[in-house]
Amino acid sequence: MSTAIDTGRSTAAGPKKAKLSDRARGERSLGWKLAGPAFLVMLFVTLYPIVYAIYLSLFNYRLTDPTGRRFVFLGNYVTALGDPLFWQAFVTTFIIVIVTLIFELILGMGIAMVMNKIVIPRRTLRTVVLIPYSIITVVSAFSWLYAAKFDTGFFNHWLNFFTFGAWDLNYDWFGGRWSSLLIICLSEIWKTTPFMSLLLLAGLAQVDSAQEEAAKVDGATWWQRLTKVILPNMKAALMVAVLFRTLDAVRIYDNPYVMTGGANKTLTLSMLVGTETIDRVEIGMGSALAVILFLIVLIIAFIFVKLFKVDLTGGRN
Amino acid sequence: MTATAKPAAPSRGGTDTPRRSGLLLTAAAWFVGVLFVFPVLWMILTSFHKETDAASNPPKFFAPLSLDGYRAFFDAGPWPPILNSLTASIVSTVLVIALGLPAAYALSIRPVKKWSDVLFFFLSTKFLPVVAGLLPVYLFAQKVGMLDNIWLLVILYTSMNLPIAVWMLRSFLAEVPDEMLEAAQVDGAGLLRTLREIIAPVIMPGIASAGLICFIFSWNELLFARVLTGTRAGTAPVFLTGFVTSQGLFLAKVCAASLVVSLPVLAAGFAAQDKLVQGLSMGAVR
Repeated sequence: MSTAIDTGRSTAAGPKKAKLSDRARGERSLGWKLAGPAFLVMLFVTLYPIVYAIYLSLFNYRLTDPTGRRFVFLGNYVTALGDPLFWQAFVTTFIIVIVTLIFELILGMGIAMVMNKIVIPRRTLRTVVLIPYSIITVVSAFSWLYAAKFDTGFFNHWLNFFTFGAWDLNYDWFGGRWSSLLIICLSEIWKTTPFMSLLLLAGLAQVDSAQEEAAKVDGATWWQRLTKVILPNMKAALMVAVLFRTLDAVRIYDNPYVMTGGANKTLTLSMLVGTETIDRVEIGMGSALAVILFLIVLIIAFIFVKLFKVDLTGGRN
Repeated sequence: MTATAKPAAPSRGGTDTPRRSGLLLTAAAWFVGVLFVFPVLWMILTSFHKETDAASNPPKFFAPLSLDGYRAFFDAGPWPPILNSLTASIVSTVLVIALGLPAAYALSIRPVKKWSDVLFFFLSTKFLPVVAGLLPVYLFAQKVGMLDNIWLLVILYTSMNLPIAVWMLRSFLAEVPDEMLEAAQVDGAGLLRTLREIIAPVIMPGIASAGLICFIFSWNELLFARVLTGTRAGTAPVFLTGFVTSQGLFLAKVCAASLVVSLPVLAAGFAAQDKLVQGLSMGAVR
């Protein structure tokens, strides 16, 4: 159907071993000098922890029992991957990622398209839409927690009111896995859709309105215009938005931590790492889980960049 | 302040829309907007209620207002954590810009060899799961005696926010016309002068929005702050979680506390709204 997918830059820059002029060499060394400090800081704070985590993950090591430290090689990984709790957290995390992503995309696209069209109060609306994004995650988590709790919240009351009393006033949203996940997802969607819609709005700006008009004149339906003209034209922005949100969502921690603490099978991968390392001080195991999580994120990023050809670098070449 | 910003979103396609569907869209947009802000409005209202009214269900909209919630929050001694948060957020944001601007400049205007790899390295670190680095950082901090020290958070936030800042700034720098740079070079302007007189004015919105994003991220960060700080260096979100856990059933207090802690970010967001949108958009697509 959509043939215009291959928009990524092909890396045709072969090995150019041409002799550099003095000036070019100067430029390059200046470039490294300018980027160097930022590099060093990031190497220190990001590479070091990862390498250290990989090292620690090879030991059976509990902080409270330093003498019992044993080298187990990949033993922790075998244990982790054989643990049903890990797979449960894995499934939970990806349910949240997929559900929130789908709704954020649809809602965000809708909001972006509306914001792109309306003229009257665009500035105000944009400010309003940004409010959830600037609220602290913990705060928003608490606010959803209280809204949904059966003793304090208004959810049940409103549902009860709108269903003419059919809804149970004492329904416990946090009593089961799926209802807890529903609230967690709702709160995530509420919080990040604005960000999504802004990214998509930027993409919409790239769509040539003349093309859209032409399609309209040719009698293309609204759906055809969306899928054949608008979406292919804003693919770059769309993919970046999806990639960003996916990687962000995989790391989800605050929201479920505040709302359920991982009860009722709502533990996410990040929370699992947290409980192993912080609460149980099982350093070897926690590190192994952290490394696994890191690999998952890396694989997703790799798939996006290589398979979908998300061009993160674009710009002058 | 915002008057000089160029229109962040194009108004294409809006001009020839029939009036009625335009109105409908506007109404729909506002409906969604209100839906999104509703929980916040509810919090604001509840924070000004007395505890008995706040706890009533369904919520009372016309209960007498009171400042009890805010009083209770400020009596709990929130100033040290708020000051800590301000220190961590502001200092790290300044550092991010100071380190990120030259790096972005090197990446976009004086391309480093294989610069797209470099850029990808920058971005990939942004994607690291934060928890994965938690334990190594904790052990390191313990070793060098930096636990419960606000400067540890400053360093961490700086490095966590650098990638996104470099990425956003780069896209703004890409907007600087080549001719301007060449002209500057011909005139014999040095690097510092070029940066100050030609580049800075063009990318001011970029700096503002990258700075704001970094500020929001570090102000909102909970995980590292919760694990790495204690009584001395605790930040506002840490204090807030503690406050909410201990006062959980007192809704008015909790709402008041949450709002006060969110206020700096909301204020900053409002102040730089245009630049933020512009920066996000540019960062995303360029």
